[in-house]
Amino acid sequence: MTTLSRIDAASLASTSEAAGEPTWLAERRQLAARRFGDQAWPDSHTDEFWRSTPFDVRFDVERELAAAEGGGLPPEGVLAGVEGGGVQVTIVDGALTSVVQHPAAEAAGVVVTDLRTAATDHAALVEAHLGRLTTTTEGGTGSDEDRTITLNDAAWTGGVFLHVPAEVELDVPISVHVHVTAAGAHLPRVLAVVGHHARATLYLEHTSVDGVSALVDEVAELIVEDGAQLRLATLQDWGSGVEHLALQKAEVHRDARVLALAFTTGGTTVRLRPEFDLVGPGAEVRPLGIYMASEGQWFDLQPYVRHIAPRASSDVLFKGALQGESRTVFRGNVFVHRDAVGTATDENNRSLILTDGARADATPFLEIECSDITAGHGSATGQIDARHLYYLQARGIDRDTALRMIVTGYFTEILDEADLPGVSDRALAVIERRIAAADLSAVQVNDLNLREEGEA
Amino acid sequence: MADLEIRDLTVEADGNEILRGVTLDLDRGRTIALMGPNGSGKSTLAYAIAGHPAYEITGGTMTWEGTELNELSPDERARLGVFLAMQYPTEIPGVSVTNFLRTSLNAVRGEDVPVREFMTGLKEEMAALEVDQSFLQRSVNEGFSGGEKKRFEILQMAMLKPALAVLDETDSGLDVDALRIVSEGVDRLRSPELGVLIITHYTRILRYIRPDEVHVMFEGRIAASGGPELADELEAEGYERLKSSV
Ligand SMILES: Nc1ncnc2c1ncn2[C@@H]1O[C@H](COP(=O)(O)OP(=O)(O)OP(=O)(O)O)[C@@H](O)[C@H]1O
Ligand SMILES: [Mg+2]
Repeated sequence: MTTLSRIDAASLASTSEAAGEPTWLAERRQLAARRFGDQAWPDSHTDEFWRSTPFDVRFDVERELAAAEGGGLPPEGVLAGVEGGGVQVTIVDGALTSVVQHPAAEAAGVVVTDLRTAATDHAALVEAHLGRLTTTTEGGTGSDEDRTITLNDAAWTGGVFLHVPAEVELDVPISVHVHVTAAGAHLPRVLAVVGHHARATLYLEHTSVDGVSALVDEVAELIVEDGAQLRLATLQDWGSGVEHLALQKAEVHRDARVLALAFTTGGTTVRLRPEFDLVGPGAEVRPLGIYMASEGQWFDLQPYVRHIAPRASSDVLFKGALQGESRTVFRGNVFVHRDAVGTATDENNRSLILTDGARADATPFLEIECSDITAGHGSATGQIDARHLYYLQARGIDRDTALRMIVTGYFTEILDEADLPGVSDRALAVIERRIAAADLSAVQVNDLNLREEGEA
Repeated sequence: MADLEIRDLTVEADGNEILRGVTLDLDRGRTIALMGPNGSGKSTLAYAIAGHPAYEITGGTMTWEGTELNELSPDERARLGVFLAMQYPTEIPGVSVTNFLRTSLNAVRGEDVPVREFMTGLKEEMAALEVDQSFLQRSVNEGFSGGEKKRFEILQMAMLKPALAVLDETDSGLDVDALRIVSEGVDRLRSPELGVLIITHYTRILRYIRPDEVHVMFEGRIAASGGPELADELEAEGYERLKSSV
């Protein structure tokens, strides 16, 4: 086996052949492999988007591709997809191990299948879309300048193809659960096409055996056609030892709506890019985020909204809590194309610093070519409000319980808005577990505002 | 010895001395009214009793049934039966009224109250105080009107059944009907087990909840004490006479 750095066209060609991939797919991998050969790994000194996170320190690319054997079983724990009771796809160590269809989805012609199989069986759709969002560079889109994305383009394993045909309104969630048991590099890939005026809910869930040292480089491409609605949740609850690079890129067409919730709590380093290209007039996207970082963790969260078409709207809201020596970076990118008149965009980030030693950075990054728009952004970093704590304590609730209620309540706002079946329970269980593990006696509260009581 | 016994209490906030030696007694079963001009220290006394962290006790004693309150955290005081209905209740985002009340009740009772029993009790009290059921799903005090916040404070008192209730201007911000509902609510809770300290500027609440004594705070001290008639005099004449007598 070769490490990631040494992936080359020749080795990929033989893998493609052995797997019986169609020619177009093999050629696409070859193209990506050549690009990969020309690119260098991200460099925090020179690469604008990597400025806040030292790639070489936080990500180890000298790893071998994990054997795609699908060994080990996913954990018994609560999964939103299971709670939500819909279509369930499981990928273990780079291999798709099971697909549980749902009668309603099956009857409506919803396709859920291995991506490699789909490359032949659903060639028209897959060939048209796979890699399109990672390789186009017109109008500010395109993500393949980043070698970590090209890597997935060239060498992905454990792929899933989802198709919700036009006008199908599927209310049960489709969940793709990526589970890691083997050390090494994992390259999962998801392609989802939601046809015009269709409605779908997609969960991407991530778990790993605690302590397994792995790099997960994941790409999801989501095509949301005219008038379609997609609700997306990424739930990330890795064990310690996982480094996660994730690009979730949605192309949102005319009058389509996307609500996306990114929930980040696990792993050692996570770099998450929820990206939305609003390519049709009237498209609407609501990217939401929850993160909770503890000792030793580093999260780099970079939502990117590109307003390409007129009269589209976007409203980003990420809320996090940090404790211990942890670090979070929120970089909210918004691009407004010169033709995107009537754009409405807003972006907000809030971080709650629970204990000393944690650091949260927030930078809005707006690139606006069009003047006929409304744009806003805001960020705040603070501590738990001593008035909240006092009020609960004054009603007999002990300090630790009160702190737990306040932190949970802080995230509830977002979970309630997302209102996704099974997700709140799952997310709250994880949040509560993380708080339970924390040293609440070290939590600092902000009592500067105790005085303002009268103005409330 | 009185159930609540405050002796020469001095309290500082932000480095300023606000209470300059307050002495006051309150027994269970009795109701006293505390009046006094703006800024005289009434809320400071209320907060000191309920353990608010912004107020530092610098001298004197404050005991409840023999226990020094100053050594207890706010939650420990609440579990002893101390309840403060706040002048400006705090909004707590994302914490639902139901979850809050249940956690609070379990903490104060020291045991888990079965959900069924809790909900039945809660709905009864809500009906009595004319609080709409839709509030159960809302976040604590968030977006409540001034009057709704006050009503919610008294709902909490009704649920928690304290032994000592300090009501800090619960009457302000209430219209006539709300005042009646809230005052009758408090009056219903009066019992030989409950001591009540009502802080107010007006006698209108005292017409529903007849106090046994009236005390007047002025510049951080109790400057006058008397029976219910003192409240009427103060409302008619204002605090001018007090100022000249100090
Ligand atoms: N946290 C605080 N920090 C500093 N000063 C304070 C604080 N709280 C109260 N004070 C000051 O203490 C004095 C008494 O305030 P307090 O709120 O006790 O008055 P009050 O009698 O309740 O008045 P009102 O009738 O207006 O409610 C005021 O001068 C006030 O500004
Ligand atoms: Mg006051």
